[in-house]
Amino acid sequence: MSSNVITDDQFQHIAKLSRLEIKPEESYIKDQLSEAAKYVDVLKELNTEDISPTFQVNHKKNVFRDDVITPSFTQSQALSQAAKTKDGYIVTSATIKK
Amino acid sequence: MSDLNKLTIKEARAGLLSKKFSPQELVADCLSQIKKLEPKLNAFVTVNEIKISEADLAKPLGGIPFAVKDNFLVEGIRTTASSKVLDNYIAQYSSTFTSRLEQAGAIIIGKTNMDAWAHGSSTETSDYGPTKNPWNLGHLPGGSSGGSAAAVIADECLAAVGSETAGSIRQPASWCGVVGFKPTYGRCSRYGVIAMKSSTDSPGPITKTIDDAALILSLVSGHDPLDATSIDEPSWVKPQPLSTLKGLKIGIPAAYFSKETQADVKNSVMSAVDTLKKLGAEIIELTDILDPKYSIAVYTILQRSEVSSNLARFDGIRYGHDRSFFGTEAKRRIMLGTYSLSAGYYDAYYLKAQKVRTLICQDFDKQFQKVDAIIGPVSPTTALKIGATEGQSMFGELQDILLEPSSIAGLPGISIPCGFDKIGLPVGLQIIAPQRREDLVYQIAKIFEDNTDYHTRRPKL
Repeated sequence: MSSNVITDDQFQHIAKLSRLEIKPEESYIKDQLSEAAKYVDVLKELNTEDISPTFQVNHKKNVFRDDVITPSFTQSQALSQAAKTKDGYIVTSATIKK
Repeated sequence: MSDLNKLTIKEARAGLLSKKFSPQELVADCLSQIKKLEPKLNAFVTVNEIKISEADLAKPLGGIPFAVKDNFLVEGIRTTASSKVLDNYIAQYSSTFTSRLEQAGAIIIGKTNMDAWAHGSSTETSDYGPTKNPWNLGHLPGGSSGGSAAAVIADECLAAVGSETAGSIRQPASWCGVVGFKPTYGRCSRYGVIAMKSSTDSPGPITKTIDDAALILSLVSGHDPLDATSIDEPSWVKPQPLSTLKGLKIGIPAAYFSKETQADVKNSVMSAVDTLKKLGAEIIELTDILDPKYSIAVYTILQRSEVSSNLARFDGIRYGHDRSFFGTEAKRRIMLGTYSLSAGYYDAYYLKAQKVRTLICQDFDKQFQKVDAIIGPVSPTTALKIGATEGQSMFGELQDILLEPSSIAGLPGISIPCGFDKIGLPVGLQIIAPQRREDLVYQIAKIFEDNTDYHTRRPKL
């Protein structure tokens, strides 16, 4: 947490990773990100050298279920909310250039 | 009979079973209260104008009208999480929480307003406009379950469903003067609740009385194979109420009162401490509890990180609209989370926060060696005015400073009415217990409620 100021380049990069378009009038978000980064600076005051992280408070791990097929959505249920469908499939934009 | 909407679940069930009125009349009274008050309050995003032909009164919630926060999926009903991204989304299945309610006979009469995606503590960041606090329409109801808390105190329903990630049940319950019970993390299934911060998201009831909340919890809790983090226990069983608090040690953390704590809040909480003392509890001041400011930092990092992952799925392909429909608040949170999880920053932000979470859990373990339960104010203030969140990108985090520590540690907690400020806005008392000790939370809240009358007061609307 050495530097709390988020640069323009970092801001654009984060927006791209987040798949968000930031409108010019929303550019103030950049300063708010820096402000939030400042708030979290207090964590530096605490020594966590020999402390292991707690990712999950009820300490469950590797929860499996039996490999058995159970009732699930029908095709029409699964497609019912999609923006565009064709022949029983969901239409997406192309991910590979022609 | 009229005004059936003003009843508690317990009263309504007695009336239904003795045939003093019908479930149709009960639902009709709630819907007519909604029609009358919604232009003022805006507590609902979607009203389900249901006409029931019959209700199975043999079931424990048979015939009882419920309002459900709009981040719970209810099959066939629009579910938006108060975001325009999901403006057109009709849920394809139901959350475990609401299906268990419906299996117990509950009737869902509408979906309540919230901060969009539950990002906030005001219900002011909803894409469907703010909900107003029924006690004073110029004030906020709190959030993110603000619509549910407002609907309960305004008697638009008999009880409601909320969800808490760090304060989103307890804080609006406090600001609206109702009971908000946040269970142990994993006690109630998260399946079908639109994910916010999955490692602390906890659904729970918002009600007019502690017994109503306990009844709901006993019906919706219990292991759910559809939620891998659900705890391996059968449903929670409501314990016997206590006739005295003799032998019980209750801690009050000095650090939960600061210069930001309003005098009226402090006075109401200290008078609640006196009541508990008179009921036999030994009150112990906790002077070495970890400063809650660290929880703000841990919560901010972890919440943003989990949000950036959870909201990645909203791409407008399988359901809902595309990502251009996200509001500023969601964009800000997604971006900060993406930043804290990105290469080069993961160790400094995300991993550091998860280690401090361990310290917070250890600190609670240490405190619970000295006391059985911890009490304090829910919020440093009573309901703030409409507009208070403008330009405040950390509004929710700072508001929920007294609730973030227990949420981060997955502890059960409650907000119960314990007083009013000088302009008539309610004050909430929080009670926190060790993981899986909802029994203690219930018993302390119950004896307090039985010896006070704050929960019986209603706003003039």
